[in-house]
This record gives sequence, C-alpha cells and structure tokens, in this order.
Amino acid sequence: MINTPLFQFKDVHAGYGDVKILNGVNIEVPSGSIVTIVGPNGAGKSTILKAIYQIAKVTEGEISLMGKNGKVDIRNIKPHKLVDVGIGYVPQIENIFSALTIEENLDVGFIHGQGRNLEIRKTEMFERYPDLAPRRKDRAGSLSGGQRQMLALARALMSYPELLLLDEPSAGLAPALVDQLFEELVSINKSGVTILMVEQNARRALEISTYGYVLDMGRNRHEGEGVKLASDPEIVGIYFGKK
Amino acid sequence: MADFIQLLFNGLVTGSILAIAAVGVSLVYGVLKLVNFAAGDFLTLGAFVTVFLSVDQHVPFVLAILVAMATIAGISVILEFTIWRGLRKSKAGTLSLFLVATGVSLIVRQLILIIFGVGSRKFDIDQVKTFEFLGAQIAQAQLVVLVFASATILGLGLLIAKSPIGKGMRAFSDNPSLASVAGVNVDRIILATWLISGLLTGLAGVFQGMVQGSFESTMGWMLLLPIFAAVVLGTIGDAYGALLGGFVLGLVMELSTWSIFFGGVPSSYKPVVAFSTLALVLLVKPEGLLGYKARSI
Repeated sequence: MINTPLFQFKDVHAGYGDVKILNGVNIEVPSGSIVTIVGPNGAGKSTILKAIYQIAKVTEGEISLMGKNGKVDIRNIKPHKLVDVGIGYVPQIENIFSALTIEENLDVGFIHGQGRNLEIRKTEMFERYPDLAPRRKDRAGSLSGGQRQMLALARALMSYPELLLLDEPSAGLAPALVDQLFEELVSINKSGVTILMVEQNARRALEISTYGYVLDMGRNRHEGEGVKLASDPEIVGIYFGKK
Repeated sequence: MADFIQLLFNGLVTGSILAIAAVGVSLVYGVLKLVNFAAGDFLTLGAFVTVFLSVDQHVPFVLAILVAMATIAGISVILEFTIWRGLRKSKAGTLSLFLVATGVSLIVRQLILIIFGVGSRKFDIDQVKTFEFLGAQIAQAQLVVLVFASATILGLGLLIAKSPIGKGMRAFSDNPSLASVAGVNVDRIILATWLISGLLTGLAGVFQGMVQGSFESTMGWMLLLPIFAAVVLGTIGDAYGALLGGFVLGLVMELSTWSIFFGGVPSSYKPVVAFSTLALVLLVKPEGLLGYKARSI
C-alpha cells in the first residue's frame, strides 16, 4: 500500500483458546489516513482490535506501530501502555465511565498526558464538543447515546493519540447522529489523527475512508480506496446488501 | 438538650470510625469485587500492634499508630501477591473470595490471641479526662478521635476526588476494561487500593480502641456488621457512599438511645437499629444512598 505505514498487521493469526478467528490478516494504516475494516458478521473485524489489546491471543504474525522513536512491537506492550505509544481506543459498548462526571472522564483519559497541560486539553475538548461543556459536572451516565459517543471520542483524544482505534462507532446511533459522527471522524482525522475503524455501516464508513479492507472468514478478501470499494457493484452485492 | 449534644457527639465519633473502616472495605469491593470479611480482624490487629508498641515497647504513641497502619497495609499487599492475585487469575467467584476472606479473618483472630495473648488491653492514654460542652461531657479521647478522623476523611475525600490514583480507582471500579484501554495501570490501582484500605483499617482499629477504652481480640469482629451495613447503606463500592453510610449509621445508632424516643433503645440493640435503618433505606432506594442508575439508551 505505502512504504512505511504508521500501523501494520502482518500475517496475523489470532483467536480465543483453540478457536482461531484470524488466519493471516494483513492491514496497513498509513499516517494521516482513515482506514476501515468491513465484512460480514463473524469475519473477525473486532478480533483485530482485540488482538491489539491482547484480549484475543495472537499466535503468529506481527503487529507494529511506527512511533516517534522507531518501530514498536505492539505484542510486547501491556494494554494500558498502548496509550503511551500513541494509540487511543473507543470500544463499541460501555465506552464511557458512567459513574464519573463528564470532566472526570476526560481527566482519566489524560492520565498519560505526555507531560502536557490537562486544563488546556480539556478546554480544547469542550470547544470541540460544546454540548458537553455545560454538563461537565454531570454524571456521564446521564448523557444521551450521541453525547456518550462524543464523550467517548473526547476521552480517547485527551491523550493526544497518533492512531485512534474505533470499534463500530455508529452502532446504536440514530441515522441523523450517524452522519454527524462520520463528519466528526473526518474532522478528527483532519486535525492530524490517523484512524483505524471496524464498522458495520460499511458503505457510509468506506465513503469517508482513505482505504478499506473487506474481511471474510478471518482472511483478507478485498482492499482498495474507500470510495471505490463502497461503489464496487460486486463487493456491494456480496457484502453490503442493496442500497 | 445536653443529652442530645452528648448523643450527637457520640454519633459523630462512632460514625467517623465506621466511615473510615467502611471506605477501606468499599474500595476493595469496588476495585476487586472482594467482600473483605477479614477487615474487622485487621482492624483489631491494628489496635493490638499499637498497644504492643506503645505500652509494652514504649514507642511513642503516634509512631506506634503509624507503624501499626503500615503493618496492616503491608500484610494486605502481601496477601494480594500470595492469595488474591492467584484467585483472580483462576477466575474465583465472589462466594469463593468471600469464603477465603472469612478464613483469613479467622487466622488473623487466632494469631492475635497467640501473639498478644488473651485478655483485654488498653492504650496508655487519659481515659477519664472530659470537657464540658453545652452541658455534655466530651471525653478527650473522643475529641482526639473525631478531630483526626475528620482530617483523615477530608484528606481521603480529596485523594479519591482529585488525585490521578483516586480517579483511576473510581474509573476502574466503574468500568475495568475501559480503564485498562484508557491507560489506567491496573496493577498499580490494585496495590494502591490494598495500601489505602490497610492504612485506613489499621487507623480505624486504633480509633475504636481509644474510644472503647479497653478492647479484646473480638473488637473488630463486633464492629464488622455495622461496617458492612455502612458500606451497603451508602452504596456498595462507592467510597463517598461508605463515608456517608458510616456517619448516618453512627448518628442513628447513638441517637436511637435518646430517652425522648419512648425511653430510648437499649444500647445493646444499636446493631438492630443499624440494620433496621439499612433495611428501610434499601426499601426506598435499593441502590443505596448514593446509588446511581445510568440512563438507558
């Protein structure tokens, strides 16, 4: 795809116990891009993210990040240390701390603030997500679905990630909010954050993506520019259903 | 009026001790989902280590208290590495953990008897000196306990609310998997939880010993049920809830003995009052005083 990707999955085999889900998956995420992984249920999309966080066991292959200080082998890094190497993650469900206030959610996201100023970063996040600002002292669990997703993004952005991993970011959102979310992802990307997402809403996600991968049965099936994949009649017919 | 002031003061003292002990129990439950039934006996151990050092070995009282607190914290950390971590790795359930904690409790109680002997002990402090305040007699030991317990609670509240470790503990308690991916160092949080819990438990033991005057190896065991009642009343796993629960129960237990209430409840029935209060509150608010249900989406 390109010579030196920011993030790379190279011939990765992974699964849970004896059950193998990924069978030699290859993914490259160039710096500054939005890369989306799509595919039918059971294709292994979420397992890719779980392999990064060592929830799924990687048996073969290489997962690496080209950090500021050179190549980092992700397999040797404890999950909580991934924030330190520049990876932020927004899980699909339970992606906020419901019992904490909105401001405290941001504080927790800043735990590894790389020596920068917490208050400045919080101000930036409240400017980016103005709906959250007046409710900063409210419990996060009182937010609506769309607001929660914004808080989840803000929490992940607090640590200045180079790479943002998103697991089904549009899941459970109303159609109007889905458009808003994808616009926000483009905006985050334009601010310099590379994005790798796994998404069920394949067509919509690919339309904003620099590059896309179609996975099936734990293997790479197709790949290409996001817009082209989204409009490829063969892929649309097999994997995305009719428009 | 004097009776009311007296009971109010007694309630605040009892409540502050319950609150300190309850926070330790609540933090451990919140972070580790462990019902630490051994807390009562560690509380007793804190008092016995202090009396051994200060009375038998003539170590200054404050230094003895600090060493006792550190001892309980140290033992708690050792148990984390030798017992609890292994049990978590083997996916032991809540009931298994509870039973092991009960076993630890019995072992600690017997060790207290073996090491420090049978019989009651007391600190070398003035137990009879009192001050008069609005007609009530306030014992010096009670006043000292209330002042230092209040300072501890204030410091603890700030630690939990403002410090990165406090926020990390609350985040982990709320959503462990998200806390981990958000960068919260789980191992550090667990160690901090045991350390803080151990320090608080040891201190609560000393305070209870000071207020009681003399104490035996069953002191903490007798206090265990009100401590757990405070934890549940305030909302299990919520540190602030435990503080509130402790004070509410302390005040309710003491004020229930006021003669204005149909002659007052006999002192020996205080635990009954505590659990009746707990039952009534849970009927109205099953999630506890500070309980919170997230909005469903």
